[in-house]
Amino acid sequence: MRSVHAFLRWREASIIVVAVLLVAYFQVTNSNFLTTANLQTLSQYIAPWAIIACGEIMLLICGEIDLSVGQVFALAPFVMHFGVTAGIPLVIALILALVASALIGLVNGAITVSLGVPSFVTTLGMFYLVNGITLTISGGSPVNTPGSPGFAFVMGEGGYAEFIWALVVVALMHVLLRHTRWGLHTLATGGNLVGAAESGINTGRLKVGNFIITSVLGGFVGILEAFRIGSTDPLAGGSNVMFLAVAAGVIGGTALAGGAGTIFGGLVGAIVLGVLRDGFTLEGINAFTFDIIIGAGILLAMLSNIYLGRLRTLGARA
Amino acid sequence: MTEILRAENIVKRFGQVTALEGVSLHVEAGKILGILGDNGAGKSTLMKIITGFHQPTAGRLVIGGEPVVLRSVDHARALGIECVYQDLALIGGLSIFHNLFLNREITHRGPVRLLNNRAMRRLARDRLEEIGVNIPSIDVEVERLSGGQRQAIAVARAVHGASRILLLDEPLAAMGAREAGAIIDLIMRLKTRGDLAIVMIMHNYAQTLDIADRIMLMQRGRVTYERESAATSVAELMEIVRREYRAMRSVQ
Amino acid sequence: MTHDDGHDVARRTMLGGAAAGGALALLAGARSAQAADAGPFPAHKRWKLVFVNHVTTNPFFVPTQYGIHDACALLGCDYQWTGSQTSDAAEMVNAMNAAIASKADAIAVCIVDPRAFNGPTERALAAGIPVFAYNADAPTGSGNKRLAYIGQDLYQSGYQMGTRIAGMIDSGLVAIFIATPGQLNIQPRFDGAKAAIAKSGKKITLQMIATGPTVNEELNAIHAFYLGHQDVKGMFAVDAGSTQGVAETMRTYGLAKKGVKAGGYDLLPRTLELIDQGFLDFTIDQQPYIQGSYTVMEMFTFLVSGGLVGPAEINTGLKFVTKGNVTPYLQSKTRYEGNSASPQIVVLKGPIVG
Repeated sequence: MRSVHAFLRWREASIIVVAVLLVAYFQVTNSNFLTTANLQTLSQYIAPWAIIACGEIMLLICGEIDLSVGQVFALAPFVMHFGVTAGIPLVIALILALVASALIGLVNGAITVSLGVPSFVTTLGMFYLVNGITLTISGGSPVNTPGSPGFAFVMGEGGYAEFIWALVVVALMHVLLRHTRWGLHTLATGGNLVGAAESGINTGRLKVGNFIITSVLGGFVGILEAFRIGSTDPLAGGSNVMFLAVAAGVIGGTALAGGAGTIFGGLVGAIVLGVLRDGFTLEGINAFTFDIIIGAGILLAMLSNIYLGRLRTLGARA
Repeated sequence: MTEILRAENIVKRFGQVTALEGVSLHVEAGKILGILGDNGAGKSTLMKIITGFHQPTAGRLVIGGEPVVLRSVDHARALGIECVYQDLALIGGLSIFHNLFLNREITHRGPVRLLNNRAMRRLARDRLEEIGVNIPSIDVEVERLSGGQRQAIAVARAVHGASRILLLDEPLAAMGAREAGAIIDLIMRLKTRGDLAIVMIMHNYAQTLDIADRIMLMQRGRVTYERESAATSVAELMEIVRREYRAMRSVQ
Repeated sequence: MTHDDGHDVARRTMLGGAAAGGALALLAGARSAQAADAGPFPAHKRWKLVFVNHVTTNPFFVPTQYGIHDACALLGCDYQWTGSQTSDAAEMVNAMNAAIASKADAIAVCIVDPRAFNGPTERALAAGIPVFAYNADAPTGSGNKRLAYIGQDLYQSGYQMGTRIAGMIDSGLVAIFIATPGQLNIQPRFDGAKAAIAKSGKKITLQMIATGPTVNEELNAIHAFYLGHQDVKGMFAVDAGSTQGVAETMRTYGLAKKGVKAGGYDLLPRTLELIDQGFLDFTIDQQPYIQGSYTVMEMFTFLVSGGLVGPAEINTGLKFVTKGNVTPYLQSKTRYEGNSASPQIVVLKGPIVG
């Protein structure tokens, strides 16, 4: 019983319970759910949202948000493609694509911090700007993703490759948030901006850094997905992947208002969303009713999470 | 008595507004200076200049006998000048020990400097014991503490081995009698250390005269009255203030 | 992980979790697998046919869904209509993978990307699941191993449109609007039109304009183009949404009277109205109803014969609808055109005109 108590003290406890219940529900209604084939499909749903959630969580904690990350997702593989067609070796082209993503994050951060534009507005503008750039340089046409089969396999084409990358990113970002000064100062900036500044923390540099991290993660995921399906597509990513990543973070326990958050919770949130999506697809729900069901499912998962979370805090106060 | 802090004719202008019109003060080690005055008198601005948050438009600061130009808050802290602001600059969601070490965290050695939470916890406990602050657990988030406890943490953060000057902005604001008593005890304990010069901005005249060795009254950017606490009284101070706003009313 | 002081929350957490779980159970409802009706076939389980589409909520595919539904009802099968709303190939790949994992009995997919679907198709075939392409096919030499394609011969239809355009316009600027360039269900039409126009030798300057995958943004894009190029001689489109947009633009600016020619694809209700009113010269019917129902037929025949009856390519045809023959389309509201949900039989009166 003591280990149960210890588990329940985690902020992520309630959403983990919800995730387990969902998995149980889908396995009961469709015995194909916990098969190797489906677990692999499920992992491919989860990975992109989990990775981008790591970045969005850092931004949400320090009081900002990035709406443009889904567009960087689409742009980065094209930068890599044009690098390769220009004769640059693939690995260098990939790094260049990540550098380009970082630059977009830098601009997002600079405008938000130096000009005092709310990040919602800054990144909304960047959303359209990057979308336009992607469509223009691609001519609207998809292209084949380059790369030797071995390289492609490691970089996303292999069944669990993307999920393994996701676990690596989640682990690194968890350490960043919980065990480094950067993470602590991010929490401080979100919790009390004036107080953090008065303590001498460079809150501007911190925010810009987190914008850069988010954009690089977005570009990285776009590249992983481009390798996974073998095609680099200007219509990939978009606002949907961004919303789901933010939702994963919030469902996992990161406050939209800032000041608190959990990277591990973001992974669990992404798992909940992936289980909902994959589970209902497996059951054969049709596209028209699909969004109704998914929306209701997310609301229910969120309500359960909040309810269980309240029980936890009540228990703590008792 | 070693004079630790001296400010000479500090002037501060923000654009067209003059917040300070030539303010001077001095504090010795082991002594407490109380600064009184209405809102807008310039007390907080003066404080922020001494902590390095603002640069004075004119005038100079002398710390421990040496004239100093403070470049930043970090520079001031390096010289042993610490401040506890009215908003306490505490991060509610973080633990006591993380707050105590904010921006001065202890890290492990290595390529990636990871936080050394164990060392910070240990040192936090020691520090709180040293200055006699009683908190059940240093892992508790600061937002869960009472107002008095949080003030104590904020003071504990400001006070450490190398501190020479401690500035407190309204340390007893919004506190009930019992909690105020605990903070007053804490401040007096710090005074008996003998090496700290303490400057307090206060509102409550009676409390100030009890705690401070010397008081200074500021009105509209100037020092209008300065006296040893023992040599003045609440009545006298009130009379000076009354004179001031009677004069203002008759102008209208 | 983050820690808090905890006490006896275990019991309450479990109760709370059970309540949430109960609510979830109510949500989906049970699906029972029934045996299908007999008829000439021995009793078989209701086969699950998964249709993966690139624009699941686009009105063009409503008749396709009716076609699938009707054929499944006839043959005792179940279907799932899934995929992406925004032509997102990755989403469609995920949907195919989910279908394979759920052990679907057959899969049909619009192959709108030259490479993304090769892997999933091979995996499905390796798992014994037949894969068909409908509405959009992989280009020759792409390596995709789908068993058959049911849909319009896209390049040919474009070529015929191009020939018609060259017949209507002698010279000048002609714009062809395309929702998402490069996408395999519409790009070949443009390529065909371009080839036909080039072959005609007429001095036509052809421009390809991208309009976007949703009807609203398509209209805005076309308006914007016209206002920037008011000397255009012809505006044509290769997909349903852009065609409707062209027709609306022709009407808004009274372009038919100015001698501008226009035409496109597919029979969205508004498009038909505007043809009748004389604002659009023609539209091409690719008969989406049979893209659904014939695909189901192919899947069923394959499953019922264990693959002995091989899959065959089906060209769902190309038909020019103009002001001259649009009336019956306007007067009927049927499932077959997608503008009515009620089951019905349309009685043909009089001789059949070619």
